[in-house]
Amino acid sequence: MRPFKTVRDNAAAWVLLGLFVALPAGARINVVTLPGRDSVQLTIYNSADITLVKETRALTFRKGLNKLEFSWANTLIDPTSVEFKPLTHADAVDLLDVSFPPRVSNTLEWRIQSDFAGEVIVEIRYFTSGIGWDAGYVAEAARDEKAMTLAGSVRVTNHSGEDYENAQIRLVVGVIRLVEDILALAQQGQVAAQAGMPAATPAPVLMRAAKEESRTRMLGVDALMADKQKEIIKEGVSEYFLYTVEGRDTIPNGWAKRLPSFKTPEVPITSYYKFERERWNDQVMRYYRFTNSEPSKLGREPLPDGDVKAFRFITDDSLYAFVGRSAVKYIPVNESVEMELGADREVIVKPTLMNWNKTDLSFDNNGNVKGWTTRETWEFEVQNSKDIDVMLDIRRNFSGDWSLVTDAVYDKVDANKVKFVFPLKSREQRKFAYELTVKHGTNATR
Amino acid sequence: MKTTLLLTAFLVIVVAPAALARVKLVALPERARVVVSLTHPDATLIEEERIIALQKGVNKVDFSWRGVNIDGTSIQIRALTNPDKVIVLNTSYPPNENALIWEINSPAAQEERVRISYLLTGLTRDIVYKAIAEPDEKSLALRNYLRLRNESGEDLTEAELGIGYGAAFKKSIAHEEVLEMLSERIDSLPIRKLLTWDAATLPWDPEYEKKTVGIPLSYVITNSASSKLGRHTLLPGKVRIFIKTREQPVRDGEAPGDGVAFTGEDWAQLTPVDREMKLYIGQSRDVKVTQRRTKDERLNIRRNNSQQEVVWDKDEVYKIEIENFKKTIVDLVVVEHVPGYWKMVENSHTKEFRKKDAFTFEYHLALPAESTGTKKTTVTFELNRLNVQGNNELSTY
Amino acid sequence: MTLLVLVLGLQGAQGRINVVTLPGRDTVQLTIYNSVDLTLVKETRVLTFRKGLNRLEFSWANTLIDPTSVEFKALNHADAVEVLDVSFPPRAGNTLEWRIQSEFAGEVTVEIRYFTSGIKWAADYVAEAARTEKNMTLSGQVRVTNNSGEDYENAQVRLLVGTVRLVEEIAKLARESERLDRDHPANRPMTEMLATNAVLRARFTATAGAFSDEWEKRAEIVKESLGEYFLFTVEGRDTIANGWSKSLPSFRTPGIPLTSYYKFEKERWQNSVIRFYRFTNSEPSNLGREPLPDGDVKAFRLSSADSLLSFVGRTAVKYIPIQESVELDLGPDLEVMVTPVLMNWTKVDLNFDGNGNMNGWTTVEEWEFDVQNGKDIDVMVDIRRNFSGDWSLVSVAPYEKVDASKVKFIVPLNSRARQKFAYELKVKHGINAIR
Repeated sequence: MRPFKTVRDNAAAWVLLGLFVALPAGARINVVTLPGRDSVQLTIYNSADITLVKETRALTFRKGLNKLEFSWANTLIDPTSVEFKPLTHADAVDLLDVSFPPRVSNTLEWRIQSDFAGEVIVEIRYFTSGIGWDAGYVAEAARDEKAMTLAGSVRVTNHSGEDYENAQIRLVVGVIRLVEDILALAQQGQVAAQAGMPAATPAPVLMRAAKEESRTRMLGVDALMADKQKEIIKEGVSEYFLYTVEGRDTIPNGWAKRLPSFKTPEVPITSYYKFERERWNDQVMRYYRFTNSEPSKLGREPLPDGDVKAFRFITDDSLYAFVGRSAVKYIPVNESVEMELGADREVIVKPTLMNWNKTDLSFDNNGNVKGWTTRETWEFEVQNSKDIDVMLDIRRNFSGDWSLVTDAVYDKVDANKVKFVFPLKSREQRKFAYELTVKHGTNATR
Repeated sequence: MKTTLLLTAFLVIVVAPAALARVKLVALPERARVVVSLTHPDATLIEEERIIALQKGVNKVDFSWRGVNIDGTSIQIRALTNPDKVIVLNTSYPPNENALIWEINSPAAQEERVRISYLLTGLTRDIVYKAIAEPDEKSLALRNYLRLRNESGEDLTEAELGIGYGAAFKKSIAHEEVLEMLSERIDSLPIRKLLTWDAATLPWDPEYEKKTVGIPLSYVITNSASSKLGRHTLLPGKVRIFIKTREQPVRDGEAPGDGVAFTGEDWAQLTPVDREMKLYIGQSRDVKVTQRRTKDERLNIRRNNSQQEVVWDKDEVYKIEIENFKKTIVDLVVVEHVPGYWKMVENSHTKEFRKKDAFTFEYHLALPAESTGTKKTTVTFELNRLNVQGNNELSTY
Repeated sequence: MTLLVLVLGLQGAQGRINVVTLPGRDTVQLTIYNSVDLTLVKETRVLTFRKGLNRLEFSWANTLIDPTSVEFKALNHADAVEVLDVSFPPRAGNTLEWRIQSEFAGEVTVEIRYFTSGIKWAADYVAEAARTEKNMTLSGQVRVTNNSGEDYENAQVRLLVGTVRLVEEIAKLARESERLDRDHPANRPMTEMLATNAVLRARFTATAGAFSDEWEKRAEIVKESLGEYFLFTVEGRDTIANGWSKSLPSFRTPGIPLTSYYKFEKERWQNSVIRFYRFTNSEPSNLGREPLPDGDVKAFRLSSADSLLSFVGRTAVKYIPIQESVELDLGPDLEVMVTPVLMNWTKVDLNFDGNGNMNGWTTVEEWEFDVQNGKDIDVMVDIRRNFSGDWSLVSVAPYEKVDASKVKFIVPLNSRARQKFAYELKVKHGINAIR
């Protein structure tokens, strides 16, 4: 009962032939079976255009040499990646070699020595290009912006040229390294010579196929959820996280499918504002800050990077205001993160240079100035015109032999950067000042 | 089979030269053996043995090839049955033809096994590695494949393939065929997993980055007997690494099966015995490194009579804060680069400190599990850079 | 190429011309040079002269003969046969005519000599190293290629090794005498089959010294200087038809001691270690009987008990005089590794001039070398370092000063061995330098 059965009539031709060769003298080749897939599993990566496909099929072997032909026209399978493994009678079934026959594209032939006659379940694994996934979030902040409901979903997109029916879907969160593009390997059709060792280390490739939204038809959440939402089981593997979608799904070629991943209410947030002239000129940037931790009702797994749409409840009957669209970084467990929501004109930071002088001149033997000292007095006016409390983070960068005198509390971030961080109540205005002394020329001692 | 070997019995027949057309005569002896040596990375050597029936006296043996990429200057023939008595007198090369004619003197009419060797271009090999790591990433099962690509124009039948190690193969491979075969399999091969944070290539302050900073993740394999290797140089080739995963049952009530996930790939460099192969296969985003220079001061500034700064010393303090969000211990190497003449003044982690060369040092750190926030690892070091003289201070070597 | 004897009857104004004989070559000798495109051809023919004036026509269409080089000499009855003059007739390309006054009637054996281009020879070597690479079998061949446009049948072949300087190239002279519409002989279809009746195995006998033949002394004059050379004479007679080449085995010597020698010099090869086979052309090495001409070498290594080979590399080798040691450059080898690491760098002893500018300093570099042999055979590694300025070296490792600014460290390494050595390099700069 699949609503999208007619999507492709030009399906990729999958041929799996069991060929039996009579061992003595043997030119008699018999096509034994043409079995369909018994099960399919897709392991989809989001950092690179690669999906690991695992399928099982039941084949009937004869004793002796069996030839098995596997072909994959009109798909994006990497021919160098195809692997064969017997799951039953593994001791009796021996893979002798793999041949990519001459002048035939997208075909390989396994030569298999079997001491067993009968049905063997085999596993076939390969990489394909053209299937991708990405994560999306919806953040619904409470009116006071002290907490939010965070909902995550994943969207799988299939442009691989192949329909994968009743597939178990696994999603890998992590950045794997590929030294050759799977799509390029697939498009060569044949097994090409290894490119060799590139001198420079290429950066991990970013996913491409999944971004082709215009050609992708979306399967709504309604369509896929027959009766209940599917659970996504999450497991850490090496430096990656593996999400396994419960049950089976069918994603025809050209389609995308969205699966809800989680929805967590009451995640504490901080409304955080930043000012740093070197990055944003005179603008004040707005952030929602939260932590991927258990006290924050999260922290069970890392959150993959993805797009965020942020809303805020503005009425008691849950009417929304759109706050901003943003991207969120990958968030490890227990890490705090900031969702950038763009510039906000309701929080104002205004630095003013109130006084400037040059003193302590010294001269060389020719009477030229060789040393001087400047002194700057800065006054900062800050204002929160919002109806909620916020945190403000102001950063200043200096250079040379500088020193700072101020009554305000500040932190030295590094040798040339300081930050002033303080809360601002709703509608609060405040001023602070500092004096910056910079020694130049021979006056500088550092 | 596109090379042909023609044997012309040539007894002492004196014919007027003009009357001799280039006639190809007699039998085409089948190859009795074909050996393919793939040890050289750029040139493939074929040695084939054939049994030819020689007449007493001078015999002409014609060897020609069409559409086969044989290096004609490399062809040699050796007598195997009677190497001291059966003698190659000379070799003639006709114009505009891929052919040659040997004149072979035999003391008697006899069958002789000869070995013909030549360099064949177009028959090339790739080395391919596939590995499946255990979930704890302490060991993996390594499989080493020989992938042979035949674009030589020649079909090889029952050829003995040699790459200098591993399984011996006897395979047939047609022109334009690619054949892949397993040459070695090593189970439970110990590996080391490493993250490497290099101050020269990675951002110092992740807060200022749009994306989570990924720290390169490597597996290190030692080509030694203690690692179940060490018998031969590991040749360059692509390595694809998978890791075992616990599968979710396909249907309710079923037992979960074994599965794998792909964890990344790299080009293996040529690795002689006792050397390490470091495979950079992916990135970790569960370790966060923030490095800051917290002190950057000049001391002891020496000026010339025009008050220009000529040479000075520097006092620099660096602070590296490292958070490990994983539930396991992580091995991290922090790489620092300091040019010029410098001395370490203070160092919070002397035990983990390794000087690699004059301008590079490393910290080899074992980060405790879940060492975040107040439990984070903090490394500080202070160094004095001495006699700094502008930018050209390293021009002397 | 034809030779016509035209007999001029009465000395009347209009010559009545009779074709008398069409003699074939009796003997041919080729002396082939490998440094320039030059071959000296000496042939003898038997002609029948009449008393009086004889005209002898010699033509050589479709060949690469230098017309200025053709010479005639009577080998018997020389006192009775006199060449009056040579003429190159108008409108007849590639032809000359000798006017010969003969006091003798009957058969005279004559020698005709000339230079041709288009014949060349080259040496080829095959080195088969033992598995240990401690010794090898070296075999040499010469390959003669004939693109001269002329078939030389039953020729005695002599090969000259050495450098000859030509004032004008033979090929150019031959071309100038050709008609423009003529096909190049190299493009001509092969007309004749290789005829072989030399049953003897070709062998080379080396003759040292200058040509005794006076005619060849003339060649000396043309070429200005004929320096050191070696002459190889191929035993027996060979036929090399136009367009063909022929390889003749020259020698095969087993048991030549060999050193597997590796070199590292950053200025020449960056970080690569280059592999060499080193041997000496001397009697203790079972060679040394003759110099070895320059040529191509293919090196193999025996890889199995039944003498299967593996390919090591190919290279060109320069002319190897007797007693000379030679290195076959076999390219980079990744299994022998040399890793130099600068472990420490300091700049000290600063000095300043009267204006306070720095005018003297000294750098001290501590270098550590890691040398590893990943092979299953023993090797020698030769590491060279180049320094400049007022440098001095402190090293526990033994080294040799090659010249004022180059040193070498020779490191023998057993199979799978690894070794480290270090040195300290001090360089004085500015006024600190005293040399």
